[in-house]
Amino acid sequence: MTPSMNYEDPRLPAHAYLDGELDPANALAVEKRLAVDPALAAEYGRIDALQRLVREHLPREAPPPGLRTRVETAVGMQRPRTQLARTQFSWRALAASIAVTAVVASSATSMLLAPSRSAMVRDGIVDAHIRSLMAPQPIDVASSDRHTVKPWFNGRIPQAPRVVDLANQDFPLVGGRIDVVGEIPVPTLVYGHRKHLISLSAVPESGRANSGPALSAVGGYNMYRWTEDGVAYWAVSDIAPADLDKFTELFRTSPPDQ
Amino acid sequence: MTIVSLHGRDAFRTKGRPDDGRGEIFDQSPPVDDDQSAAPGRDDRARFARLVLPHLGDAYSLARWITGNRADAEDVVQDASLRAFRAIGSIADGNARPWVLTIVRNTAYTWLRKNRPSAVLVVEDLEAVETAQANPGEPDSETPETALIAKADAADLQAAITALPTPYRETMILRDVQGLSYREIAEVTGVPIGTVMSRLARGRNRVIKTIESSAS
Repeated sequence: MTPSMNYEDPRLPAHAYLDGELDPANALAVEKRLAVDPALAAEYGRIDALQRLVREHLPREAPPPGLRTRVETAVGMQRPRTQLARTQFSWRALAASIAVTAVVASSATSMLLAPSRSAMVRDGIVDAHIRSLMAPQPIDVASSDRHTVKPWFNGRIPQAPRVVDLANQDFPLVGGRIDVVGEIPVPTLVYGHRKHLISLSAVPESGRANSGPALSAVGGYNMYRWTEDGVAYWAVSDIAPADLDKFTELFRTSPPDQ
Repeated sequence: MTIVSLHGRDAFRTKGRPDDGRGEIFDQSPPVDDDQSAAPGRDDRARFARLVLPHLGDAYSLARWITGNRADAEDVVQDASLRAFRAIGSIADGNARPWVLTIVRNTAYTWLRKNRPSAVLVVEDLEAVETAQANPGEPDSETPETALIAKADAADLQAAITALPTPYRETMILRDVQGLSYREIAEVTGVPIGTVMSRLARGRNRVIKTIESSAS
């Protein structure tokens, strides 16, 4: 038994639950209370409706045109005025050389690393899975409700992953987290199976052709990788390949969540 | 376009360096060894580009919600960016968003205090009033319909959030629009997580009630 949270306002946990801020034990406690407390459930419904409204009407925005240039200019002028004339040229040259370097470097990188990028992503995803198992909890948002997990991703990354409910097939949703793989934030769903966890990362790979699941093993972990609609999915776990295969199949064939 | 940037530079010169003594030094002739010691290195610019520039959208949005004005928000972001640039060497790599937003928030309040002192609410008073008025255990007798909330349009929502006292408004924006975690919001607004939670709950409930009363 985990001691229940002691808030001055009993409605606060409903907010924290919707915000994905509760650890698994407290999230479970809120889910149980929601089932039996109509007033709390109504509060939950209202906050949820408000958050949907905010997401619909007040999306995160790009800076207005010109602001970036203005800021960059301001920062560039943050030098002694007497030096300005002398330094302006060198800054411009520097900027140009950086731009050239960046172009050369990025094309060279893509040429050299293209074949092994997939391997790098794979290693990064296995690392993230292992690290999550060592952390106090393997997830940033704990919830078995896909309608909580998916919105949690929305404010944080450009594209929330596809979330499906596989609780009836013995793969309950545990929650989600954001891994960083090769400097890219990657949404990862965590499913349970018996006493094991499965990390399912969704790496955006626009332009990549769809492909069926391919099994590989890295450092004692089994992985399935497949591509669908410009997203590469990676399922990692220490469960048997047959079980992971079943999970992969279920996830792929379940209807989209919305 | 030119006018805008001129205005920006003027604004910066006249009010952009409120309390940071270093600005004065830069305005006068440079000390002899200035080139090495005070000039920002390439590394600083690269770090600024990597750590600060990606968050300009959020910075501008927060500044606009605090100042309530687009032009003021741009001035605040420019000023805050300069502060961030000067301090760029002192922060660790990683997620700089809470740090950037902290600077933006502080800059915005400094700006407000100077230019529109009446708009700055004394936070302690607000908390005291709220605590006195709050009836923690009271269930919502009126229970607004969720369907009613869902029907509200962008203007209703904007107006309801704008009407919030600043501490509630900034907390709600940081959470519901920008997606910061409670811990990050606590860092940005300089209050304990418990206060973040109660401000969030009160702010949201006020917005819900405003929307409801304007809809009915």
